[in-house]
Amino acid sequence: MDILIYGMVNSFSLALMAIGFTLVYGISRLPNFAHGALYVVTGFLVWSFLNILKIHYIFAILLGLLIMGLIGAFIYRFILIRVRGMATSEIIATYALGLAVLEFLRWKGFKGMTYTLPVFIEGSVSIGGTPVDLQRLIVIGIGIIVVAFMWLFTHFNKTGLALRGMAQDEHAAMMLGIDSDWMAVIAMAMGSILAGLSAIVLLPLGNIVVETGYNVLILSIAVCIVGGLGSWVGAILAAFMIGFIQIITVAYIQSHFHMVVALLAIIITLILRPSGLFGRQKELEERV
Amino acid sequence: MLEIRGLMVFYENALAINNINLNCQGEKVTGVFGANSAGKSTLMYTISGIILDVKKKEEMKGGERITVLGSIAFDGMDITHMKPSERARRGIILCPERRRIFPESSTLENLKIGAYLATSIQAKKTLDYVFTIFPPLKNLKNREGGFLSGGEQQMLAIGRALMAQPKLLLLDEPLLGLSPLMEVMLARSIRDINAQTGISILITEQYARPILPIVHYGYILENGGAVLQGTSQELMENPDVKSAYFGL
Repeated sequence: MDILIYGMVNSFSLALMAIGFTLVYGISRLPNFAHGALYVVTGFLVWSFLNILKIHYIFAILLGLLIMGLIGAFIYRFILIRVRGMATSEIIATYALGLAVLEFLRWKGFKGMTYTLPVFIEGSVSIGGTPVDLQRLIVIGIGIIVVAFMWLFTHFNKTGLALRGMAQDEHAAMMLGIDSDWMAVIAMAMGSILAGLSAIVLLPLGNIVVETGYNVLILSIAVCIVGGLGSWVGAILAAFMIGFIQIITVAYIQSHFHMVVALLAIIITLILRPSGLFGRQKELEERV
Repeated sequence: MLEIRGLMVFYENALAINNINLNCQGEKVTGVFGANSAGKSTLMYTISGIILDVKKKEEMKGGERITVLGSIAFDGMDITHMKPSERARRGIILCPERRRIFPESSTLENLKIGAYLATSIQAKKTLDYVFTIFPPLKNLKNREGGFLSGGEQQMLAIGRALMAQPKLLLLDEPLLGLSPLMEVMLARSIRDINAQTGISILITEQYARPILPIVHYGYILENGGAVLQGTSQELMENPDVKSAYFGL
C-alpha cells in the first residue's frame, strides 16, 4: 500500500516536472536545458513575493507563474531565436543559461534550510493505514488537471492544434499561415509556466535548494528519453514507470539508489530502443 | 492577381529559375507544366515564401546559399520579402508536393489545423464544402493522416488548404503518384472548386494530359525558364506540346 500511494505521488511529480520539457521539445524541437533553473527560480520568486513583498500566497503563485511565462518567451525571443535549427548550439545556449542562473543564485547565498514554501493545506489523511499529507494528494490532483488540460488544449483549441501541426511538419504548418516563431514563443512560455507550476506544487514538500535544479533537469530528460522525445503519452507512461521503480528501489534496496534509477533508465532505453517507448514517428514515416 | 517579374532563384551557382514572368488572373486556373527539375516546385516555394525560411536555416547552418532575385506582387502589393505566414494570411495557400499531411493527426484534425486562419463560421462552412467535394473523407474523419491512401491524402491536402480560406490556391503536383481514375476525378474536383468558389488556382504538373484541359492559361517550363505560354486551347494545339505531353 505504501508503495502504491507513494509511487503514485512520485510518478505524478515526475510527470509534472517533465511535461514542460516535453512540450517545448515536441513542438519546436528546442531542448530546453534551462528547465531545472526555471524550476528553482520559480521557487525563489514565489518565496520572495511571500516573505519580502508580503502578498497573499495565491497572488504570489499567480504572479510567479506569469513572470515565468514572460521569462520563457524572452528566452526564445532574445536567445534561442539566434541559434534556432542548430541542435548542439541550442543545448549549449540553454544549458549555459541554466548553469549561469543556478550558480548565480548559489553565489548570492540562496541556499540552506531557510527557504521553504508553505504547504497549501496543512494536515494529512490516512489511506488504508498509510498516512499521506494533503500536499502529496494535491500533487496527484494537479497532475491529473494538467494532463487533462493539455489534452483538451491540444485537441480542441485552435492554438493547441496549430502547435501540434507545427510539431509534425514545420513547413506544412507555415503554408497554412501558422507562424513558426510565434508558436515557439508560446511553447516556451507554456513550458516555463509548467516548470513553475511543478515547482510550486512540489517545493512545499522540501527546501528550495539550488541542487534541485540539476536533479529536476536530469529527471525530466530521463522521463522524456524513456517515453520517446516529444511524445506526451510516452512521457506520462515513462513517468509512471520510473516513478514506481524509484519507490520500489527506495523500499527494498536503499534510498540513495533512487537517482541511479533515472540514469540507468536512460542508458537502457538508448541501448534497447533508442527512439523511446512512443518514438514512433520514424516507423510511421517508413510505412508511408 | 499574382504578378511575377524577372524572378531568378539560385541554389549556390545553379540556376533553378531563370527570369520567369508569370501572371495569375483572378478567379482563373493557371497551369505551369514542365518535366522534373524544370523548377516547378522551386517556383511554388518562392511564391509561398517557404524558400525564405529554407534560406534562413541554410544560412544559419552555413549550408547552401540561396539567392532570390526579381519581384512578386500579390493584389498590387510587393510580397517578395514577406514571411510565409504573412503571405498565407493574405490568401496565398500552398498545397505542397507529396501532400505533407500531418501523419499523426486524424483527418478531421488535419482539417482543423488547416483552419488556423479561418473564423469559426468560415471553418464550419468550408468543412461542409470539403466533405461535399471529397465525400470519401467523410468516412475517414477519425483515421490518422499517415494511414490514408495516396489519393485520400491528396484530397485531404487540398481540403486542408481550402480550410485556410485561400484567395490564390497553389497546387504543387497534385496528381503525383495517383491512379488514372483518381487523376481524372481530382482534375474534375479542382475545376469544380474554381468554378464554385471563385478561388484562383495556380497548378503545376508534369503530367499535363488531365490538367491541361481545365486550365485557362498555361506556361511551359524548361530548365527553369518559361519557353511557351498561351491559353489552354493554344497549348493543346501546339505541335511541340502535343508531341511532348500527349505523345501524338
